[in-house]
Amino acid sequence: MAEEDPIGSIRAERLPLASTLLGGLRDPVIVILVLAGTFDWLSGNPIHSILLLAAAFALARDASIRRRAEFAKAAGGPGLAGGHAPGGAETGARAVPFRAAFGDLSPRAVVIGAAAFAVIVGWFQRYSWPATATVVGVAAAGLALGWEEPPREASGPVPLRASGVLAWASVFVGLALWELATLLLQPSLTTDSYAHPTLSVVTDPILATRPGRSIILFLWLMFGWFLVQR
Amino acid sequence: MNSHDVTLAGYAFFALAGAGLQLLSYRTRIPSLGTVLTRIMRTRSGRVGVVAGWAWLGLHFFAR
Repeated sequence: MAEEDPIGSIRAERLPLASTLLGGLRDPVIVILVLAGTFDWLSGNPIHSILLLAAAFALARDASIRRRAEFAKAAGGPGLAGGHAPGGAETGARAVPFRAAFGDLSPRAVVIGAAAFAVIVGWFQRYSWPATATVVGVAAAGLALGWEEPPREASGPVPLRASGVLAWASVFVGLALWELATLLLQPSLTTDSYAHPTLSVVTDPILATRPGRSIILFLWLMFGWFLVQR
Repeated sequence: MNSHDVTLAGYAFFALAGAGLQLLSYRTRIPSLGTVLTRIMRTRSGRVGVVAGWAWLGLHFFAR
C-alpha cells in the first residue's frame, strides 16, 4: 500500500515537530501567518491567533510531507502521485469533497445565501459569541475550500508583467505597514487611539449599527466567494 | 492637520491607489487584482495565505 499511496504512508508516520516547524520557515506565507498570529496573540485576540497559527502549522506539515515524498522519490522510491511539483504546485485530478459540495451553487444562490447570513448575523451584537461562532465557522469553511485546488484551465498561467505585480504588492505592503505603524503608535496594543486610529477604529461607527454590520458582512462573504473561485 | 487626519489620509491614499491600479488594468497591461490573486493562488501556500487573510478580516471586525 505504501507504493500506491506514498503521501498517505508518509502522512501516517509521526513527522518530527522541529523538522516541520523549521522547514515551514522556508515559505514566506508561513512566516507571515506566524508573525500575524503572534501579533494577534499579543494584542489580546486569541481566536484570531489560533486560526492563523493553525493555518501556518497545516501548511508547514503539508510542505514537510511533500518534501519527504520528493526525497523518497529521489532515493529511488515511488514519489508523488498525480505529478505534484515542488513548492506546492499541484497537477492532476483528486477528490475535493468541499468543492464537490459547493461547486454547483449558482451565483444567485450564493448571493441570496450571503445576504440572508449577513442580515441574521449582522443583527447579533458585535463581538458576541453567536456572531463569533458563525463568523469563525464561515472562516474555517473558507480555509477548507482554499486548501483544495479549484478546477483549472489546461492552458496554464497567464504571464504577468513584473511592474504590475510590483505595483499591487507596493499598495498592499504599504497599507500593511501603515496599519502596523498606526497600531504601534497607540498607547498600547490593546488601547485604541483617536490620534492614530487603526482600520478597526475607523470602521467602528459603521459596524456599531446593525445595517452597517450586515452590509460589511455581505461584502466580506462576496469577497470570500470571489477568492475561492480563483 | 493633526495626526488623526494624517492617518486617515494615509488610508485614503492606499484605497485610491488600489482603485487606480484596477482602473488602469482595464486600459493598460497592468494586471487586475483578480489576475494577480489567481496567480498567487495557484499553489496551496498562496491559496491558504490569501484566504487566511480574508478570514482574519472577518474575525477582526466581527468576532471576539
